[in-house]
Amino acid sequence: MSRELLTGNGAAAWGARLARADYVPAFPITPQTEIIETLGQWIDAGDMPGRMVTLESEHSVLTAAGAAAATGVRVFTATSSQGLLYAMEMLYTVAGWRVPFVLVNVSRGLAAPVTLESDHNDIMAARDSGFLQIHCATCQEVLDGVLMAYRLAEDERVRLPAIVNLDGFYLSFTREPVDIPDPAAVDRFLPGFDPENLAFRASQPISQAVAVLGGSPYSYFRYETHLAALNALHTYADIAQDFAAEFGRSYEAVENYHADDADIVFVMLGSFATKARDAVDRLRASGERVGLLRPRVYRPFPADDMRRLLAGKRAAIVVDQNLSVGKGGVLHAELASVLYGIPKAPAALLSFVGGLGGRDISAEEFFEMVTVARQAIADGVTPPPRLLYTEDELRELRKLQAVAEVERRELGGKR
Amino acid sequence: MKESVLKRMKDLPSSHLLGAGTPMCAGCGGLEALHEIYDQVGAKSVFVNAAGCMTLLATYPFTPFRGSWLYTAMASAPAGAQGVRDALDILIDSGRLPPDEDLATVVLTGDGAAYGMGLSATSGAIERGLDFLYICYDNEGYANTGQQASAATPHGAQTSTTTLGYAGYKKDLFGIWAAHRPTYVATVIGAEPLDLARKVQKAMSLAGPRLILALAPCPTGWDFDPQYTADVGRLAVQTGIWPLKEYVGGEVVHTKAPKQRLPVEEYLRLQGRYAHLFEAGGQAGLIDEIQARVDAYWDGVER
Amino acid sequence: MYRIRFHGRGGQGMKTASRILGSAFFRAGYEVQDAPRYGAERRGAPIFAYVRAAREPINERGVIAEPDLVIVADESLVGIAAAGVCQGLSERSVLLINSHEDVATWTHRLNLAGPVLVLPAREAVADRAELPFAGTACAGAAAVLVGVIPRDGLEAAVREELGSLPQQVIDQNVAVALHAYDEMRDHAGLVREAPTRSAKDYEPPAWLEPVFEDARHSAPAIHAAATSVQVRTGLWRTLRPVIDYDRCNKCWWVCSTFCPDSCISVTDDGVPEIDYDHCKGCMICVAKCPPHAIGAIPETDARDAALTGEPS
Ligand SMILES: Cc1ncc(C[n+]2csc(CCOP(=O)(O)OP(=O)(O)O)c2C)c(N)n1
Ligand code: SF4
Ligand SMILES: [Mg+2]
Repeated sequence: MSRELLTGNGAAAWGARLARADYVPAFPITPQTEIIETLGQWIDAGDMPGRMVTLESEHSVLTAAGAAAATGVRVFTATSSQGLLYAMEMLYTVAGWRVPFVLVNVSRGLAAPVTLESDHNDIMAARDSGFLQIHCATCQEVLDGVLMAYRLAEDERVRLPAIVNLDGFYLSFTREPVDIPDPAAVDRFLPGFDPENLAFRASQPISQAVAVLGGSPYSYFRYETHLAALNALHTYADIAQDFAAEFGRSYEAVENYHADDADIVFVMLGSFATKARDAVDRLRASGERVGLLRPRVYRPFPADDMRRLLAGKRAAIVVDQNLSVGKGGVLHAELASVLYGIPKAPAALLSFVGGLGGRDISAEEFFEMVTVARQAIADGVTPPPRLLYTEDELRELRKLQAVAEVERRELGGKR
Repeated sequence: MKESVLKRMKDLPSSHLLGAGTPMCAGCGGLEALHEIYDQVGAKSVFVNAAGCMTLLATYPFTPFRGSWLYTAMASAPAGAQGVRDALDILIDSGRLPPDEDLATVVLTGDGAAYGMGLSATSGAIERGLDFLYICYDNEGYANTGQQASAATPHGAQTSTTTLGYAGYKKDLFGIWAAHRPTYVATVIGAEPLDLARKVQKAMSLAGPRLILALAPCPTGWDFDPQYTADVGRLAVQTGIWPLKEYVGGEVVHTKAPKQRLPVEEYLRLQGRYAHLFEAGGQAGLIDEIQARVDAYWDGVER
Repeated sequence: MYRIRFHGRGGQGMKTASRILGSAFFRAGYEVQDAPRYGAERRGAPIFAYVRAAREPINERGVIAEPDLVIVADESLVGIAAAGVCQGLSERSVLLINSHEDVATWTHRLNLAGPVLVLPAREAVADRAELPFAGTACAGAAAVLVGVIPRDGLEAAVREELGSLPQQVIDQNVAVALHAYDEMRDHAGLVREAPTRSAKDYEPPAWLEPVFEDARHSAPAIHAAATSVQVRTGLWRTLRPVIDYDRCNKCWWVCSTFCPDSCISVTDDGVPEIDYDHCKGCMICVAKCPPHAIGAIPETDARDAALTGEPS
């Protein structure tokens, strides 16, 4: 084991290397490119025995990844944002094939307007595809998450592809100290992939991913995929235990940061949650009993954990780094569906949308969210969802609009 | 490259590998070509398919294949073949799979995928030198969705989206492939089984990217009685509309140039999709144009 | 509400039949739903279409489970369980078969609780272009059986639905439809609207919670070769190719090579044999056989000769 400074992208590449990924179909996109560049360099230098092939699109990447996994090798790939959406048809498709492999997504906001910076709309679009999702908050979690994702995806109780998600820039290009485990220890934790009877062999003809006729067989196959994903919850718990035993780091499906004795709890995904951790520390220092819950496993959704951990809280503050246009924050909606009707559900479930397109969330904003929550508890009225956006920001935007001569357009194009 | 052992018709197989009972239309020219091709490819193969009529060949729990099959999507069958081929190579090279478990990697798509949506994936696979055989059954339209015009639809043909006749011109997929300098490209048709079998055998003896492009008379989409599938196919060759040729080693050779070309009219007349060309006061000039284009092609060949 | 199902083969005009009947109902002031139902199969394969008609807006959707009237355009489908012709028939549903045989034969053969009628079929069809008339005839018969569609309403509906065809073809179809209407006039109004389903005494669905089965079993994969031979596409056939072995000169198995469906195998001494379980009746072999040793006969004749309800 060694401890080194690695970017999130570097950590992802190390995860693939230590997992002994056989095959890496790839296509570049910022902020993911560094992952495949790193793997390519290792493979060229003979440091890693795998094979990499650059295809012509992410749609093709996902097809090749699924097909190679369907042939029985361990596959790794990575993408981001527009790439994930370009591949979307194949995300649903290969999940239905029931082939295990790991896809790292480096979250980045979606066009239009086009941006390079991070938010979670890309990964949320893959929410219903059948891919499992593990969301990371640190570079260490990225490396560890890749290893755990292989175990989870390949487990016979599951057998689905998995996405490990990390935030663009905030993790992808940010170096942090990361423990790089011993290859031998990784081999103990993650043995080679055995495709069993789902692979192409001359001696055993198989037609994979065939068509069905009618809603009844379709329902069966689709629902079995769902049951497999649900199985991934207890399977994850077992794997997390093995991981802790081998590497000494424990990763529960939901990170619980001072939530047990809190009366107000933040709920967030990804790396911005460490900002919330920081805010929790400072709020606690000033006497507020607040905490943080962060689903690491987002698909399958750890519904029972969330219900248990939120029971008896007075308020939950959901900070969504995504926006379902015409509805609002996705995590908020999902949590509401999970909490509805349970005894002791938090009386107030607040929704904030922030961090879109990489916009920062300041400590003061976290503090203020708690103030708003306290008011909601006192009034018994939950305020409407709020976008984290300030007067200063609008003033700055107005300047840009002036340069863009927005007003002139408003006057019908006359000068 | 081994020379074909197929000398005469009697050398063609008299029993067939592809199972009966498929959901393809009665008289499907694509299936006619496929069953002839499959006899040469053999069961040690995995067919990677894109969306089209033939996707329904493998409909749970029925498949006519004696080897393997993977359905992908409309755009990316060649990328699926890439994944399968690379994975098999990795397993064999690393000693995890005995070499006799290897499979020929075959892509099977219609023209819509081959000429259009899947062309980027195809181009990429050829350029990467992927060792695969691409079989395109060209029924000159999106047949599975009801024969809308595709990039392979010939000029003047009626389709369900071009009721007045297709205004564009059929793309030259043979030329597009050849421009990539692959190992082998050939046009075939089920109605010329010996020529077809020889070419598939030759393709199977080579490595690298290979295309078998089969014109697939489609009784449903082209509107003719299914009994005429082979006759329409034969006329496509004898009128010179479907030149049987191959590209190998940088050279294009015509394998069955008609000695005396029949007028294109004989081919067109059999098909409802060209009926408007024969109506009084119709677009009769189009027949001349189609003839002129065919003549110009062969003038170029014969020069 | 009237619930009516048409059974036929791809290419016999079942969709058109349902649309003609739908339009005729609509013209008679009814709310209507008509739809075809396709599977993966194509021309020649068993398909069905259905019509609902009611005085009130129709909320029911999808396949009709309990029909008031079932019309079979192709009698060979009745014996094919997979075609589902008899599905949901009760003592109050009417079954009408377009057939060469008489009511007594069918009544005896099927032993159904409800009435069975026969619409006398036209001469055995040797020309496939004639097949679509079966649909028009069935629509005409259905129109009179429900008893609420006037003769001129039927004619108008046929003209409306076939509007894009040449005038002569439309006129022929109108004649066929009206002929069927007149032929079944004795049974006008035999078909009655079903009472609405009670929410009180009903059979509860036997729901179950599917259990997880691992991917070795629950992936959409077929772990076997050539299972398609279990599908009897021979049932699609309307024409049957028959080899005259006296004329067959045991050539280079032209028929076997051209048959798209791998349905002609050749014995060691060069004799071709047709697999009627799977032959779809495309007739390419008939067209290609050099000495013209393969002839075509209507499938119904072949079946009558074999004295079975299904092809061998
Ligand atoms: C991305 C996508 N768009 C559209 C379709 C619908 N679709 C299914 S098959 C097909 C036609 C394919 O045409 P072709 O490749 O020529 O095959 P054919 O149907 O003629 O056999 C289309 C458009 C699809 N499956 N996927
Ligand atoms: S539509 Fe054409 S290509 Fe498709 S199955 Fe039918 S005949 Fe074959
Ligand atoms: Mg096509």
